Amino acid sequence: MQTVLNLLEAEPIRLFVSFGAVLFLVLNLAAILTMAERKASAYIHLRYGPNRVGPRGLLQPAADVVKLFTKENVMPGRSDMWVFLGAPIAMFIPAALVWMVIPFSPDAVVANLNVGILFFVAITSIGALGVVMAGYGSRSTFSLLGALRGAAQIISYEVPLILSLLGVIMLTGSLSLVEVVNAQGSTFWTWYFLPQLPMFLTFYIAGLAEVKRVPFDLPEGESEIVGGFMVEYSGMTWALIQAAEFASMGLMSAINVTLFLGGWQPPLPFLDFGPFNWVWFGLKTALIMFTFQWIRWSLPRLRMDQLMDLGWKVLVPMTLVWLFVTAGAMLVIPGN
Amino acid sequence: MLSEERRVEQQSALTEPAAARLAAPDVRDEFGLETIDMSMGPQHPAMHGLLRLILELDGETVVRCDPVMGYLHRCQEKIAENRMYPAVIPLTDRLDYFANMHNEHGYVLAVEDLLDVEVPPRAEYIRVLMSELMRLASHIPSIGFLMLELGAFTPILYAFRERERIQTIFEAVTGARMMFHYIRIGGVKADLPPDIPQKIWDYIEGLESRFQNDFVDLIQGNEIFISRTRGVGKMTQEKAVEMGLTGPPLRCTGVDFDLRRDYPYSIYPELEFDVITDTAGDVEASYRIRIAECLQSIRLIKQCLEKMPEGAVMGDLGRRLRPKEGDGFGRVESPRGEFAVHIVSDGSDTPYRVHYRDPSFCNMQLLQEVVPGHYLPDIMPIMGLIDPVSGGWDK
Repeated sequence: MQTVLNLLEAEPIRLFVSFGAVLFLVLNLAAILTMAERKASAYIHLRYGPNRVGPRGLLQPAADVVKLFTKENVMPGRSDMWVFLGAPIAMFIPAALVWMVIPFSPDAVVANLNVGILFFVAITSIGALGVVMAGYGSRSTFSLLGALRGAAQIISYEVPLILSLLGVIMLTGSLSLVEVVNAQGSTFWTWYFLPQLPMFLTFYIAGLAEVKRVPFDLPEGESEIVGGFMVEYSGMTWALIQAAEFASMGLMSAINVTLFLGGWQPPLPFLDFGPFNWVWFGLKTALIMFTFQWIRWSLPRLRMDQLMDLGWKVLVPMTLVWLFVTAGAMLVIPGN
Repeated sequence: MLSEERRVEQQSALTEPAAARLAAPDVRDEFGLETIDMSMGPQHPAMHGLLRLILELDGETVVRCDPVMGYLHRCQEKIAENRMYPAVIPLTDRLDYFANMHNEHGYVLAVEDLLDVEVPPRAEYIRVLMSELMRLASHIPSIGFLMLELGAFTPILYAFRERERIQTIFEAVTGARMMFHYIRIGGVKADLPPDIPQKIWDYIEGLESRFQNDFVDLIQGNEIFISRTRGVGKMTQEKAVEMGLTGPPLRCTGVDFDLRRDYPYSIYPELEFDVITDTAGDVEASYRIRIAECLQSIRLIKQCLEKMPEGAVMGDLGRRLRPKEGDGFGRVESPRGEFAVHIVSDGSDTPYRVHYRDPSFCNMQLLQEVVPGHYLPDIMPIMGLIDPVSGGWDK
């Protein structure tokens, strides 16, 4: 027994096992989120939503997975096979990888990197590659347009996204996500979303754009370019793209919670559950994800030029101004 | 919401004609740029039926837009030549399947023009009542379709909930939910069931109270909705008249034209209603017009129910209709514009020639004129401005 424990203590194996656990969580998250999405949309639409498979339709994701596994994977003629098949993988891996640095609770973090925020920024940038690969490999005008839109959107919105992180980094003085959470304290008014409100909003909006959710789902744009970059995918490749989308949506919510909403910290000190504080992390992430879905089923889509206007003319100046405000406040107010 | 200054600024930015965005072909040649061709449809989830658009794209800007029709052609006019006059009515139901009552009404008016038959007043009231309900059942989903094309999925379901309730009323009155075959030559098929006037009244009262909340407050002030529709598909009055538009696409440019008032038929002269116009001539204006016309329809339905006379619902016709030689013409204001039927009779019991002028078909030429210069995602709201129906443009 002791040998097994010792073995688990060894760093490579601990990493391997815990990353396996996180991957398991991410894949399940995708399934749970599809279900949540369908149910949430149903209640917004005044419908029932899926309610046939299992109790209250809860086994619907399992049925979906079976259906997608058994479906034929149709490849468009003259498509670039390796690029086409590689794209879903190139989209999924970055989305799953960043989960490694998310602190679920004080002890539960796969890799407590001292440059966790940098890791997040670096890895999410790779996501654009998958979109471009999918659009290029499909050899379809619709996909190509979707991929071009996706690349332009993701790269443009990275600027406000990264700028909005800087305020938190300045306040904490560290790039480690665990440090960021520790610095926020266990009372909700000390969390960074209050002093950094414009940054929080920018991060939220830019995050929506990064994960290609309504009102920024132009790369999909189902009313004009049908499914955009994923229009030619079917079966498991499509499922993988969907899993990547949902994983990155969950990721964006988790990062949002970690940076601005106190991570695993309870909102009030007496609600501290000790080792079970991951409940708070889960609740807050679920709340942010629900708002993503709420927005999705309430708002129409922006147009490409309007999207660029919002990013460069509103979000970037706002974050830059607030960066200076934060810096000035840190100079003036002692003890910060 | 934006401040008023910002709104004015945005509006002025948007009122530059979309065609100004088109790079001149020689500029493209100079830099060695190429346009790409894209075929949108006929199988396209957001297209209003089977329409194919051949697009030439310069990046996201549309340079050329050619609609290709004919994928749903069913030889309606030719089939009508081989059928006896009353047997054509169920075929007209299949034309514009969002305005079946108007199709029937237009055809029946044309035949009655040939026959000089007296239609009982109660039948006329029922016809107008059903037509206005049909207009509601067409305008409300078209608002939903417009939002669907902008990427908001929810309003379409709210819209179809209303359409469903109207269809339930139709089912109780006519026996069918869409293909009614209800308006007949000389009257209507059957009188209203005794409980139906009260049901319609209750429904209309309920709709009136829900309407503002579900279809105006949720949509009209939305910043994204405004930025996606204001100035999109903008056209001048002259252009609209030149293209022969009718219905909301014409009235949204400010032309005050409505067949119900200007070429009155049935009992419309006896009813009070306003013709809604707007001056903007863009997608947002057409949305506002449809909203206001729904309220006018509600007004008309209430008046019909209040003034409905007693009496027969079918005029006196012979067993076999043999109109005299000549032409018959009927035109009605369908939700999409002017629906007109021209019948040539050779004195036999089948028409010699039937021609339908369908608003979906005629308004469609707006695409070729207006779309170039807009961005690719603007095509769909412009389709929502026309709100064409596949069964209408392909006869």
